[in-house]
Amino acid sequence: MQQDDIQSFLERFFIATHCPILERSNGHIRVQLTAEMDKQLMNRPFYWHYVERIGAVGEPLQLSLITKRSIHEKGEYIHFGSPRLHQIFSIAKMNGRFVRLYEQVFERSVALHPWLHTNILLSYECDRKQDRLLSLGIHLISGTIIESFYDVLKEKQWGVTVPDYCFTISPLIKPMSGLARLEAFVERLIVSETHEWADEARARWEEDLALLQHFYEGVEGKQEEYENEKEALRQRYEPRIHISVINGGLFYLQAK
Amino acid sequence: MNVTVHWEKSWKDEFMTRIERDGPWSNWELYELALESAKALTIPQFDGLQAPKHLPHITILPHQYDVARQVVEQMNGKAILADEVGLGKTIEAGLILKEYMIRGLVKKALILVPASLVSQWVQELNEKFFIPAVAQRKSYVWEQCDVVVSSIDTAKKQPHRDIIYEQTYDIVIIDEAHKLKNNKTKNYEFVQGLKKKFCLLLTATPIQNRVEEIFHLVSLLKPGHLGNAEQFQKRYGRLRTLHDDAHLKELIRKVMIRHRRHDTGIEWTKRHVETIFIDFSEAERNVYETIRQSKPHFSDTALSHITLLREICSSKEALFCTLKSMMERHPGIETTIGALLQKMNEITEHTKAKKALELIQTINDKVIVFTEYRATQLYLQWFFKQHGISSVPFRGGFKRSKKDWMKELFQHRAQVLIATEAGGEGINLQFCNHVINYDLPWNPMRLEQRIGRVHRLGQTKDVHIYNFVVRNTVEEHVFALLYEKIRLFERVVGELDDILMKLQSPTFSNHLERMIAQSKSEGELKIKMQNFVEILANTEERTHAAR
Repeated sequence: MQQDDIQSFLERFFIATHCPILERSNGHIRVQLTAEMDKQLMNRPFYWHYVERIGAVGEPLQLSLITKRSIHEKGEYIHFGSPRLHQIFSIAKMNGRFVRLYEQVFERSVALHPWLHTNILLSYECDRKQDRLLSLGIHLISGTIIESFYDVLKEKQWGVTVPDYCFTISPLIKPMSGLARLEAFVERLIVSETHEWADEARARWEEDLALLQHFYEGVEGKQEEYENEKEALRQRYEPRIHISVINGGLFYLQAK
Repeated sequence: MNVTVHWEKSWKDEFMTRIERDGPWSNWELYELALESAKALTIPQFDGLQAPKHLPHITILPHQYDVARQVVEQMNGKAILADEVGLGKTIEAGLILKEYMIRGLVKKALILVPASLVSQWVQELNEKFFIPAVAQRKSYVWEQCDVVVSSIDTAKKQPHRDIIYEQTYDIVIIDEAHKLKNNKTKNYEFVQGLKKKFCLLLTATPIQNRVEEIFHLVSLLKPGHLGNAEQFQKRYGRLRTLHDDAHLKELIRKVMIRHRRHDTGIEWTKRHVETIFIDFSEAERNVYETIRQSKPHFSDTALSHITLLREICSSKEALFCTLKSMMERHPGIETTIGALLQKMNEITEHTKAKKALELIQTINDKVIVFTEYRATQLYLQWFFKQHGISSVPFRGGFKRSKKDWMKELFQHRAQVLIATEAGGEGINLQFCNHVINYDLPWNPMRLEQRIGRVHRLGQTKDVHIYNFVVRNTVEEHVFALLYEKIRLFERVVGELDDILMKLQSPTFSNHLERMIAQSKSEGELKIKMQNFVEILANTEERTHAAR
């Protein structure tokens, strides 16, 4: 995300969370937070607790955010590293984890097929780290798995209800087994790869371990220290892949 | 396969529940925003640094970027950061910490720094790096906060020690790590017992006196890298020349990064060094000679004798403090001291102080005066005041807030800052470019630290350094000779490290002290000093030849 992308991201975020944008110019926005967003963003639990205790209606704050240095407005300057943006990232991640969406088609009597889609994050970790994103979709009728499924989804219009005069086909494969098939797919993918990064990490690990053993060889009374160091080496170098789902859900698509 | 795979199941479980309960479901826009947020936070590759794009407001200099990158990519997160003073080791450490935190490889961090620097570190990490670091004030902080800054002295004490030992740290960062050069100390032992995945040791002077120091530092970082203690002693213990230690150098290069000013590619302003010789007044000379001749009276306190000589070169106030405590400890020398005190009373003004005043008036700009003695510091403050010059004191023992306040006062209100040795660490005074070394420290490394306060990144003007030396005193014999001949001031610290390392003198300042204490006459001392300087010069030549 470049500095120029930040403003449009922020605007979309506040629109999606129903916070009215009161002012906007190139490089600056002022938004009226909703009570819900105020609670998530402004870190004033005592205020909200108090308001709720006395049964009053709270007054959510406004936020003034600046995305271009040249702007002379009062407000927070938001760049890629600012804690405020990262707070918004994590709220966005929390709020968009689960969906069930229907393709908005404007013809009559269209059958919508069930798909399960997940965005999966693979983190390759040792003393170093690299991430990889997978976007997998499985057709819950045939079991076909499609990679980069998000690219297909983002070309379409989506709504939370079935469009008029269309109907959905029930899944033959249950969402849970669909998910299990996707997991198996990911694991096969991992097994099929050569993991040079992991071999290299193990080599570094062994090298350091040999030095360590040598250092403590014949030294009395340092067993605990040695074990600590050894365990620290394991935590540092042991290669592992951590997999988590960013978000996902059921998508009903027109068959093509 | 050589990799363990771990699936996080929380999404799956929650998804299951939502299907059963038929929601709640988000909309497409939130779904997209969530994915975009996650994408923004992914680490695209093992190599390179992510931190700089999170820190657009910091100017990261090329050598700082290289250090961070090298530590992460080649040194596997364990390194001694040994750039010269003023090149921004704190920035480098912050950058590395930030990088690991962004990558999710570090969550729990312990940062051990001198007590006087705790708040500064906390502030810099929070404000510059957006790292929510906390100063350790309550004992629950160790367990509840992820990034904690503390002094070693606090951390090693109970009940903290036990709590800290229960924690597993992803990274431990230690500032001023040269204080851990001795493996027999409690601090060393304490750090050795920490559970740490990554580790950074920060020091501008990785070797101050002896080659073993580097062994102990490296062993703290990466036990075994330089072999075990016995082998190291056998192989490198008697190092004399560079040729013998090429291998050692290579090994050290793998765990230590050291940049010198000239290889940072940054335009540094010049250093102008001037030695100003001062002649004692009659009264001062009288006191000096009395101390010199009464050496037998202080025979059981050989070190004190030199101390006294050095002190009178600074101020009678400094001398008086020591005499007072000597009198309490050795009642037997009261008569000698009594006579001395009488002679001291005849000193009405210090020639050196007058010279300093004169110089400050001519400079007519901000000046930092360094002295070794607190008594001199107070005296100078009073003396300058008498002549209408405003000054602020500065000591290492000041609380952070007081240090900041004094710096503020100096920058905006006062012309002079008078600092004692301990005040030298951890303050940046780039807005000033004149330094008076009112008296000179034993250890040349400390000089670099003094000068480093002003001659650092951000200094836009040439830096002027004035060294005060009283003629025909221990100052001239030792310092003038040493500092002049080997041009210590103009030299980069690293070179001096090399030279001292090659010399293998037990410790540099001890060596000097012994030389002075054991000399029976001025003449003998002079000859010894000349020899010493010659050895230094020879070693230097060999160093250069070997390059």
